[in-house]
Amino acid sequence: MENKLSRNLYMVPYVLWIVLFVIAPIFLVVYYSFFDIEGNLSFINYQKFFTPVYLKMTFSSFWYAFLITAISLLIAYPTALLLTKTKHKQLWLLLIIVPSWINLLLKAYAFLGIFGTYGVTNSFLEVIGIGAQQILFTDFSFVFVSVYIFIPFMILPIFNSLNELNPTLLDAANDLGASKWITFRRVIFPLTMDGVKSGCQVVFIPALSLFMLTRLIAGNRVITLGTAIEQHFLVTRDWGMGSTIAVFLIISMFLIMIVTGTRKRGV
Amino acid sequence: MDKRISPISKLFLVIVFFILYAPIFFLVFYSFNSGGTMSNFEGFTLDWYKELFHDVRLLIIVLNTLVIALLSALISTVVGVLGALVIHSVKRRQTKNTLLSLNNVLIVSPDVIIGASFLILFTMAGIKLGFYSVLFSHIAFSIPIVVLMVLPKLMEMSPTLIDAAKDLGANRWNVLSKVTLPFITPGIFAGFFMALTYSFDDFAVTFFVTGNGFSTLSVEIYSLARRGIALNINALSALLFLFTMLLVVVYYFITQRNKPKGMGVRK
Amino acid sequence: MTNGVIIQFNNVTKQYDNDPPVLKDVSFEIERGKFYTLLGPSGCGKTTILRLIAGFTEASEGEIFFNEKKINDIPANKRQVNTVFQDYALFPHLNVFENVAFGLRIKKLKNAEIEQKVREALSFVNLKGYETREIREMSGGQRQRVAIARAIVNEPEVILLDEPLSALDLKLRTEMQYELRELQRRLGITFIFVTHDQEEALAMSDEIFVIDKGKIQQSGTPTDIYDEPINRFVADFIGESNIVKGRMIADYRVEFVGKEFECVDQGLNENEPVEIVIRPEDMVITTLEHGKLQVRVDSQLFRGVHYEICCYDKDENEWLVHSTKKANVGDKIGLYFDAEAIHVMRHGETEEEFDRRLEAYTDVEPDGK
Repeated sequence: MENKLSRNLYMVPYVLWIVLFVIAPIFLVVYYSFFDIEGNLSFINYQKFFTPVYLKMTFSSFWYAFLITAISLLIAYPTALLLTKTKHKQLWLLLIIVPSWINLLLKAYAFLGIFGTYGVTNSFLEVIGIGAQQILFTDFSFVFVSVYIFIPFMILPIFNSLNELNPTLLDAANDLGASKWITFRRVIFPLTMDGVKSGCQVVFIPALSLFMLTRLIAGNRVITLGTAIEQHFLVTRDWGMGSTIAVFLIISMFLIMIVTGTRKRGV
Repeated sequence: MDKRISPISKLFLVIVFFILYAPIFFLVFYSFNSGGTMSNFEGFTLDWYKELFHDVRLLIIVLNTLVIALLSALISTVVGVLGALVIHSVKRRQTKNTLLSLNNVLIVSPDVIIGASFLILFTMAGIKLGFYSVLFSHIAFSIPIVVLMVLPKLMEMSPTLIDAAKDLGANRWNVLSKVTLPFITPGIFAGFFMALTYSFDDFAVTFFVTGNGFSTLSVEIYSLARRGIALNINALSALLFLFTMLLVVVYYFITQRNKPKGMGVRK
Repeated sequence: MTNGVIIQFNNVTKQYDNDPPVLKDVSFEIERGKFYTLLGPSGCGKTTILRLIAGFTEASEGEIFFNEKKINDIPANKRQVNTVFQDYALFPHLNVFENVAFGLRIKKLKNAEIEQKVREALSFVNLKGYETREIREMSGGQRQRVAIARAIVNEPEVILLDEPLSALDLKLRTEMQYELRELQRRLGITFIFVTHDQEEALAMSDEIFVIDKGKIQQSGTPTDIYDEPINRFVADFIGESNIVKGRMIADYRVEFVGKEFECVDQGLNENEPVEIVIRPEDMVITTLEHGKLQVRVDSQLFRGVHYEICCYDKDENEWLVHSTKKANVGDKIGLYFDAEAIHVMRHGETEEEFDRRLEAYTDVEPDGK
């Protein structure tokens, strides 16, 4: 018989990974949040966080994330629903996912051209008589591009939950006299709630923290928590303050996960 | 289920697909523009591609990116498979859930947090920012993805298969190499490819932990894009698009070949 | 065929954590070369016994012997038994040949030898020519055969079969029952078969263990168990039965439904409360005056070989009758049965006491009939 030690040797790499790259980083972030820019132990970062500047930034970051999530959901749900009704649904789904594999920065870069002052959109607006607008470096372009990037991530879980839906349930609802709308509201939507929740989760949390999009598309007009963290870590080198914001981002992340946490339903 | 799709719904789907793909084709289209902007298409040229292939610096970066992606995918697949085995072998429900939650932390964490916390980690550990810090980070955030791709396959495997193997005289190593690993091979492939694409696509984490001397494609595109429009980025994106498609096709074929034929006869 | 004990359980108990035990102090012996069936409802502990023999799980208490050697601590891969699983547990990534060859490859046999043994095993289960098929290309019945071939190719001394027929349809199941029985005779090795299907058990076994609530209720040949069930559970579980409460008046005299009847049981206490079993096929429909019981026909189902007639007496006791003759619903009829058809069960009788009592009858009875 093999002895117990060598039996469990295979656990070492994975456990090591958990300790070094999951637990340690979180502790380090929390630890650093208690140091000011000079490296002294203090609560100054937390005091700063509760000043209007940071609170306003946090609020606007949440507001944008909320907008992005809501719009993504509004577009993704009907898309997913329609996709499940197509003939080669797996192929169509693949086609939805493919753009998400293209480097995010390239997609953002494309919008520099599309939304630019002399870009396609403005030429189009001029043709229909509205005239050129400043589109790039506005809230609109930020939200639009974010939704564009996140839509596949929202569609996927919703599609999956719709796909798992037992079609006889719909027949049953029909049989019991439910109209299409009632079937949707009382049967389909509640049963796909888990998909919606995980979709919102995978959109909302990154939306809070995107910094490259705000830099490239919103031209610093929109500052999210992510932008602030990047700023503190890489530009002003105030790791303490950056960590403090990160701590709050982690806390909100956990809250969101609890809210959107998927509970197993009874069969 | 109602299989018919109304014309309005069709139009909706068409618009969604158009918006998803337009920016990508827009980029590719203008990569052939001799005009040098993304607004007026003046004439067809391959100059931007030529320029790309003469840019030694860029080629080195491409090579870096490839090496990082392949190495990190390989290592994270090994550790991830071990991790899935660890999680699968745990009997106690609570321990299992804890491990799963720890596993998922890096998946749900925003990139900035991962980037910032790894930056602290590497600085504290005295690892110079550059190739190794980027490699370690990519391995670290790919492991949980591999675990999530492999674990369902392990769960799918009927426990009687293991009993059967033991019953026929297989020891632990036989069970692993002759039954478990062949059974979860599709999951391992999926995990490897996911890790590969995650590594290619990552920008935010790399941006934090890459030093001055080392750069990956994403980081390079970001710094180029911040300077404004340059059509060699378009050319680059066209090539990357092709490359991504190639990966998708290869992946598709591998999974297809794995599905019906199993692993064939193993001697 | 050498007779003798191959497997022995001594006071084996199996308990998971602090749950009530799934097996309670079970002892039995299994003889070489026989077809055994462990029969009982789901959750009764029959599969646990199988897993204990195979070594997939460990006994909490007690000893398990195999060929007179204690095997409690021997892992599954070192035991001389092979299992046919309920879901067959065929390896989906290997073809038929490689599935069957699995155990031989582990033993590192030479390729030529493997080739020969696998072919032999496959022809044994009538699967010649299927060597290169993938498992998913095989039907349920064929998979079943592959699973059996995979077990027998290792030439184990005991084959364990865990409800292997439950996934098959009725016709195939009956066919496989014959085949399994035939296979066991040809191989001459011990089969331990687990099922919840009493018909299957009766049809195939040399020896049946009826198990309920983690205890062996009764063991014996199929006819023993069918004709002389030890208690209400066994009587009810094996075949259909009419069971009523009764009272022993004296030797050979028993009273139930308010009447006195002649029976073949003796040696019980006077006035001892007992339970009476009469099998439906032992009841004969006759006229009211010839009947030992007078009943009203309540409903009738045609079962193919016979009619299943449900009757009630004046005390509303239900009497099930199997008859090739049709009855009319609503009619009053008489039911006749022999004294031997009445089977008397004592409350809380152990298997040993029960066996001793039955043996006493055969000692006394020969001149009776």
